[in-house]
Amino acid sequence: MDTSPHLARPQWMSLLAQSDPADLAAAMDAFAPPADLTWLRPAQTGLYMLRGRIGGTGPQFNFGEITVTRCSVQAGDHIGHAWVRGSNTRHAELAALADAMLQDDQQQVPLRLHVIEPLRRALDRRRDEASRRAAASKVEFFTVVRGE
Amino acid sequence: MLAAFAHPVFDSQRSFRELLQAMARPAMPRALPVLPPAPAPIAPAAMAILLTLCDATTTVWLQQPEGEAVRHLQFHTGLKRVDKPQDADFALITDPVSMPPLDAFARGDLRYPDRSASLIMQVSAFRADGQTRFAGPGIRTSETLAIDGLPGDFWQQRTAQAPQLPLGIDVYFVAGQQVVGLPRTTRLLEG
Repeated sequence: MDTSPHLARPQWMSLLAQSDPADLAAAMDAFAPPADLTWLRPAQTGLYMLRGRIGGTGPQFNFGEITVTRCSVQAGDHIGHAWVRGSNTRHAELAALADAMLQDDQQQVPLRLHVIEPLRRALDRRRDEASRRAAASKVEFFTVVRGE
Repeated sequence: MLAAFAHPVFDSQRSFRELLQAMARPAMPRALPVLPPAPAPIAPAAMAILLTLCDATTTVWLQQPEGEAVRHLQFHTGLKRVDKPQDADFALITDPVSMPPLDAFARGDLRYPDRSASLIMQVSAFRADGQTRFAGPGIRTSETLAIDGLPGDFWQQRTAQAPQLPLGIDVYFVAGQQVVGLPRTTRLLEG
C-alpha cells in the first residue's frame, strides 16, 4: 500500500471501498453531508466477472463472479463514485459521498485527518493481523537432496 | 450531471411496456409513464426511450452531440456512440427539420431485416385533426394523426422506402410526454 502522507484519488477510493463499513460510517458521522446532493446513480448491486492470471503467469481467465455495489453522487461541482465489494448499499453511498467531498479543497484536510487516516491505520492493522495469522501457520518443507 | 430513472428497473420496465404498445398500435399517441431529467437538446421523453432501450451493446447516433448530453447518456446507459448514421441501431433526431435523409440510416438486409435503425424523433406536437391517415397492421381501419415539425419531404422519403419491405426504418416520435410508434409496416394513406 502507498505510504505517502497524501493519498491520491485512486488510492482513497480503494481505501474507502476496502474499509470496514461500520468504521467508515462512524468516521463520516462527524461530517454533515453537503446540502446540494444529487444521487446520480443510487446504490445498486450487480455481478462483476473477475478475470486474472492466477499465480501471476499465463493467460487471463474468468476467475469467478463477485457481488459489487456501485453508487455515484454529485455534491456541488464534484462527482463521487464508489464500487464496493458485497451488497452493502450504505457502504457504497458513504464511499461515494466521501469521494465527492474529498475532491473539495475546503473539506479535504479535515476529511484526510478524521476519515482517511484512521481508516488507513485500521486497514493496515487488519492486513498485519491477517499476515501474522498466515505466518504462524507457515510450514517449511525440507527435501533431502539425493546423492549424485 | 443529472440523475436518470429514480427506480431504474421498474421505470424502464414500465416505459418498455408503453413502447411495445406504441409499436403495436401505430399512430396512436400514448403517454410515457416516467419522464427522467434530460440535458438539452434531449427531450425527457426521448431520454426515457434511450434509457429504456440502450445499453453497452447498442450503437447510437446523435444528431446534435452536445458534450453534456453525450456525457449524461454514456454515464447512464454506457451506449456506444457512432459518427455515421449508417452504423446506428438507434438515432436520436433532436432537430427533425435539418435531419439527414432517411436513406442515410440502416434498413437491415434481407437475411436480417432487424438490423435496421430505430429513429427517435423529437417533434413539436401531435394533432388528431390532421389530414394524414395511416393504415397497416395494428390499425383496425385507419388512424388519423398529424405530426408537426417534420421536414417537408419526410413522407415522400418514407413512402419511397415502402416497397423495400421487410427492410425499412421504425420511428418513435416524441412530443411532450407522448410517444407515437410508426413501424415500417404502417402505410400513409393518400388523400
